[in-house]
Amino acid sequence: MKTRLLTGLLSLLMPAMVMAGEYDLTVDRVKIDTGDFVKEGIGYNGASPGPVMRFKEGENVKINVTNNLDEMTSIHWHGLILPFDQDGVPGISFPGIKPGETFTYEFPIQQAGTYWFHSHSGFQEPDGAYGSIVIEPEGREPFRYDREYVVQLTDKHPHSGDRIMRNLKMMPDYYNREQQTVGEFFSDVSKNGLMNTVSDRMAWGGMRMMKADVEDIHGFTGLINGKGPSQNWTGIFEPGERIRLRFINSSAMTYFDIRIPGLDMTVVQADGNNVQPVSVDEFRIGVAETYDVIVRPKDEQAYTIFAESMGRSGYARATLAPEEGMEAAVPQLREPARLTMADMSGMAGMDHGSMAGMDHGDMNMSSSEGMGGMDHSSMEGMDHSNMKGMDHSNMEGMDHSGMSGMDHGSMAMGKKGGPSDPFYAKGSGLVPTAANGGKFLSYADLKAQDPLYELREPTREIELRLTGNMERYTWSINGVKYEDADPIRLKYGERVRFKFVNETMMTHPMHLHGMWSILDVGAGQWNPIKHTISVNPGTTVYMETEVDEPGQWAFHCHLSYHAAAGMFRKVIVEGGPESAQAKTDVLVEDGGEV
Amino acid sequence: MNASKLIVAAAAMSMSAATLAAGAHGGGHGASSGEPGKASEASRTITVEMYDNYYEPEEISVKPGETVRFVVENKGNLVHEFNVGTPDMHEAHQEEMMMMVEHGVIQGGKLNQDMMNMDMGNGKTMKHDDPNSVLLEPGQSKEVIWKFSDKGNIEFACNVPGHYQAGMYGDVNFE
Repeated sequence: MKTRLLTGLLSLLMPAMVMAGEYDLTVDRVKIDTGDFVKEGIGYNGASPGPVMRFKEGENVKINVTNNLDEMTSIHWHGLILPFDQDGVPGISFPGIKPGETFTYEFPIQQAGTYWFHSHSGFQEPDGAYGSIVIEPEGREPFRYDREYVVQLTDKHPHSGDRIMRNLKMMPDYYNREQQTVGEFFSDVSKNGLMNTVSDRMAWGGMRMMKADVEDIHGFTGLINGKGPSQNWTGIFEPGERIRLRFINSSAMTYFDIRIPGLDMTVVQADGNNVQPVSVDEFRIGVAETYDVIVRPKDEQAYTIFAESMGRSGYARATLAPEEGMEAAVPQLREPARLTMADMSGMAGMDHGSMAGMDHGDMNMSSSEGMGGMDHSSMEGMDHSNMKGMDHSNMEGMDHSGMSGMDHGSMAMGKKGGPSDPFYAKGSGLVPTAANGGKFLSYADLKAQDPLYELREPTREIELRLTGNMERYTWSINGVKYEDADPIRLKYGERVRFKFVNETMMTHPMHLHGMWSILDVGAGQWNPIKHTISVNPGTTVYMETEVDEPGQWAFHCHLSYHAAAGMFRKVIVEGGPESAQAKTDVLVEDGGEV
Repeated sequence: MNASKLIVAAAAMSMSAATLAAGAHGGGHGASSGEPGKASEASRTITVEMYDNYYEPEEISVKPGETVRFVVENKGNLVHEFNVGTPDMHEAHQEEMMMMVEHGVIQGGKLNQDMMNMDMGNGKTMKHDDPNSVLLEPGQSKEVIWKFSDKGNIEFACNVPGHYQAGMYGDVNFE
């Protein structure tokens, strides 16, 4: 009897023992060589980027982090669902890791997919303190591939993060090389007339923004897996294989538009969560986002992975090839996008009366209201403006009257001839288009493959206006920067609808720690879950959160210098399991500065 | 989608009947997948379960000329297809399926029957009634009776946009 009980106990314990992995990370000063310049930075286990951490869903991990720096550090496991005191944000989850100290993180792995980790202290992350996380699911993947690669991007700048922040505070356009010139003023005058040009410029000045502010920071070298364009990171394949590429944008400030000329990319995962597969020619990856794509190169040739920065001020480049050393043509950078008056339509205090022709009525297309049960999201990719070559004469029998409930008027069809996407302001100058004229991924294409949460009505709505003053380089939420703001208080068990209203000219990747962000793409139950939601200028975007993790969490813009300037909030989840509540109280008493 | 792609899609749609006819001749050029079979000639039944987005099993073995009765069950939450053909046939069919999605015929987990039967002109519809395939909503089950031709590069595949590319296909191995 006793032996049996013992064996029983042992077999109960066994799986847990097998599934407990222990890992070591050191935080080190490292040299970073981009091919364009060499600089000192921060890395993990002696390199930047740090290692690929491979976990298995269901595993309990123990990660010993040793701080070899002469300053405090921390590691945040970006996108992982874990107890809040393991989340790695100094002053919110824990005090941080002192120089010379080893801190042991311990948490269960409750999810699968592609994620990453980075320091949440100062500007260590832009200085190189980041790595990737790959979690194998407990069951099978809902797709097939023969090999996989992590493709981790960053925007490596020759200046340190501290120095960049100082310069931005002193002169917000310090790193902006795309400013409009006097020559451009005169060419606009000859095109648009003097009065139009002057009033356009005055409107921009009144917003304390500069028209070319698609990006704050120019002058970086784009890296893929730590390699600059000339160093050309290469992934090997055999023709005919399916390859899973796990794209991670670990940039401080830079969005990238990614394409692989000659290959379709089938997007199967976003921010670690599987989405219904969608094949695209190109996609935009926001700062801190991840996208997994499957490609299938059939020919015995090299293919270039080309990642152009959204503002076209730089690029990252890598290669997929059957053999090391092969390479394909590297495309030229395209012309930079220019913000239009539509992109600043969210600015408060502007005279909207002078913006004739703008239709604010359609601004909330991402909201499920007003979408009359129709699934517009599947139609956004259709650009009817390109259909001129199609012969409709054979289609007389097509009875559009049967398409009840379809409102073509509200469809994003690019009526004015330009590209459109419901997640960009109408008439926006930022809407991306694929270099080959094909399909560019939109948030509207993202549908959950297997929804994690039941659809239910949110208990309340919280409006977060994304605010800032570019000329003083202050960034804030609802006009209040972090150090002056009260925390956002949520109740355990509620479902909150967040309304992001972007009143600035910049795109902000908003990252809520610890709990999923259910992005409203108008697909109801199929709305995808993400950890980072990109909010474009002049737009309103909704996300919902099931408040299912107790404790206190960070919620911020993931652009490093925006977060540091104050576009940051602490979120406190009240209630929930007692033990977690007690831990929060202790931490609040300790409370350090972020 | 650009104009040329759409024209190809439209052409492919009107061609699908012809493709099948060619298949029925059993050319043996490696380009045919076989022909519709008779239930009475089926040597066995193979059950194929469709999940989001993969098949179980992911490969089957048949003899050249064998007639197989497939019982196809959609156990996922999305619309899926079971289609027997060559990779080229699947690629052509994917254009048609893209059109069905763009016209709202396939909406995640639902098929819009009204839209499928809509007359597109010239008597063409977006009905999905080719004998080498079935298109099923979650929970549905249907049969395909197929007589395989000689050896060839045959796959069964789901051509709902993105699904094949993500790996929703199975290999047909000839014994």
